[in-house]
Amino acid sequence: MALTRRGFVQTAGMGAAGALTGSFIGARGREHALWSMVEPTLLAVEPNVILLASNENPLGPGATVMNAVEAAFGEGGRAPGRYSARSRDLIDAIAKKQRVKPENVVLGCGSTQILRSATHLFTTKDKPLVGTIPTYEECAGYAKLLGHPVRPVGLDANFRIDLDRLADASRGAGLVFYCNPNNPTATYVGARATREFLSKVNRESPDTTVLLDEAYFDYVTDPDHDTHIPIAVEHPRVIVARTFSKAFGMAGLRLGYAIGHRDTIRKMVDWDGGTGTGSLNVLAMHAGIAAIEQDASFTASERARNTTVRDFTMKWFGDRGMKPAESQANFMFVNIGRPVKDFRDACRAKGVLVARDFPPFEKSHCRISFGTMDEMKKAVAVFGQVLGKRATAAA
Amino acid sequence: MSVSRREFLAGRAVPRSGGFIAARGMEAYLAEAAQGADGRPMIPPGVTEIRLSSNENPLGPGQAVLGAILGRFPEAGRYPVNSTPNDGALTAAIARQFKVKPENIVLGAGSQEILKSAVRAFTTPERGLVTAAPSFENCPATARRLGHPVAEIKVDSAFRLDVEPMIAASKGAGLVFFNNPNNPTATVHGAKTVADFVARVRQSSPGTVILIDEAYHDYVTDPSYESAIPLALATPNVFVTRTFSKAYGMAGMRVGYAVGRPDTMTPLEALSMPFNVSVFGIAAAIAALGDSRHIREERDRNTGVRAFTVQALNELGCKSAESQGNFLFADVGGPAREFRDACARQGVMVGRDFPPFEKTHVRISIGTMDEMKAAVAVFRKVLRPGSTSSGGPLEEDIWR
Repeated sequence: MALTRRGFVQTAGMGAAGALTGSFIGARGREHALWSMVEPTLLAVEPNVILLASNENPLGPGATVMNAVEAAFGEGGRAPGRYSARSRDLIDAIAKKQRVKPENVVLGCGSTQILRSATHLFTTKDKPLVGTIPTYEECAGYAKLLGHPVRPVGLDANFRIDLDRLADASRGAGLVFYCNPNNPTATYVGARATREFLSKVNRESPDTTVLLDEAYFDYVTDPDHDTHIPIAVEHPRVIVARTFSKAFGMAGLRLGYAIGHRDTIRKMVDWDGGTGTGSLNVLAMHAGIAAIEQDASFTASERARNTTVRDFTMKWFGDRGMKPAESQANFMFVNIGRPVKDFRDACRAKGVLVARDFPPFEKSHCRISFGTMDEMKKAVAVFGQVLGKRATAAA
Repeated sequence: MSVSRREFLAGRAVPRSGGFIAARGMEAYLAEAAQGADGRPMIPPGVTEIRLSSNENPLGPGQAVLGAILGRFPEAGRYPVNSTPNDGALTAAIARQFKVKPENIVLGAGSQEILKSAVRAFTTPERGLVTAAPSFENCPATARRLGHPVAEIKVDSAFRLDVEPMIAASKGAGLVFFNNPNNPTATVHGAKTVADFVARVRQSSPGTVILIDEAYHDYVTDPSYESAIPLALATPNVFVTRTFSKAYGMAGMRVGYAVGRPDTMTPLEALSMPFNVSVFGIAAAIAALGDSRHIREERDRNTGVRAFTVQALNELGCKSAESQGNFLFADVGGPAREFRDACARQGVMVGRDFPPFEKTHVRISIGTMDEMKAAVAVFRKVLRPGSTSSGGPLEEDIWR
């Protein structure tokens, strides 16, 4: 099943090398519905586009998972017609892998549903959402929709979470959204510092819940790396969110989950109606079971692949005097010294899609996801053309 | 398509340690919180399951849909905005179906997401929900979770939505849930009654939003019925929900949508989850919309099996409300729970309790003709123990 997206499309005869049509508008990220209202409607992604806009795994989920999806049809093809009872099996599989109990797991339609449930449950008109700026916008966007206040906290000079400022801002907060590695900056706070942060917030503001979004967990190579799931299971005020959309390559299937204390998980289950059976499709459930039951070599190999591409891409920009923030994810945040919109439009015209604006850095910094090595080699050639003289490697 | 769902279940789902929990319907997730999924009746080991508990299309999606899903395998790793076709293409395809614009459409992870959004958007602690009793429970369950008031108006003596008291209760309400055909009673109101209902609610309570859920639209054969979509497009504060989970045979894919005027859609769109429909769901739904013959055939198939089942139950002394869905609401003359448990022991799963009729009525989904023939034999044994030569004596005699 060597089915890359491009390979399939070309095999199907739909693709032809060449420039994009003008109708193509692409750089809409994960949160387009709330955040990219300014972008014109995306009609269709054309086959030869290099998608570096959504922090996906460019290779998809791999043969094990796709075989499980195919098997999930049943030979009669009737399974997609039935409401599925597999969510509990998926919860069991996740619990086993993460060494927690099923009562510590809640599923979501992507981690989006998890982030929304937490925002709904733990913020109020008096207890704000606290998060860095920029970070992944889902919680803040949903809090605003609810009319609940949002307290943004700037990053440090290295685009990392400023732990002291975040802890100060967290006093009295309903929910702290702590995305690590942080989207869009790709920076990472080590496990020890995160533990100290959790402990400090809990000490100084015991009613505040911290949601640790570990969406990019599998891409981290920093040796001071560890999950905070064991803490979440013990503490009602700590939740860890995970997704199958990143290293597992399943963004299209819509599957995420949270792990936490049983009382916290119970609240989330009660709030959004169950363990996720209402919003999760049956193929995703089968895929999720197959994905999580794979041995660690799948994520290890995806991490290694990404690390190589990351090194190549970061070096390319570094050599040209554009230093990206230290990336521990499958994307980077790089100072291109010009408004991102101009850069994005110019790259788009040459078939490369980079991400949307991330204020307050939309005048200087662009988020670029890492595709395959082949894609990045083509992409940097486009970046070179678009960035012009400045992109010439230092002698 | 020679291998049945049964073999699918036998091969994949049954070996779970705790036993396979089968009878989880569209609303299983609601029932979970209430009674625990393990409170559902269990099929004994080795007994073949016939699932008549969730109002699904027993045949699943057609070949066009299955082919479309398989064709999307290479894009499993892409967000639905990046796939070909993408989520915008599904919205556009639905809009074309009704000759409306994309801003008239909101997608949902099944129509339930939209129902939840509607309650969250349109009810408040002061302006509550009006619904029928019994009706689909998603809206009242969501309202209760929010602490918003719920008025449940008992259906009339023919098990139809009782429009007069619903109109009266709607004054000052935030949202009215009008399920047509109504789950679980399967009854329908004609176009004239619906239009009159909408006009009178609008007159007495113009700020009230009316949600007309047409999940079972494709199964209706009553000529007086028409979709309320044109009405919704012409009327502020009215919208219609539809789903691919019923006649389209895609319950497992989680795709539904709402149709209405843009100003009614805006609050729903704001609350809808980004990327709520998977890339497989998008491809499947687009393919399904292009296969109208499949829907006609499914309606005809259901109509035939429905007539058979209604008559068979009549012969057993169980009268059903006039069904316009792919399920029946039948008077079994005793508690639904006991009937359900007795049937489950013989492999037939029927619907959950629907108060205030849980002491007399059971909801039975319409399976294939083969399934219904087998199910009717089980119903006969349960309702008339000793009446068949083949069946041994049964423990239940409360059903006589």
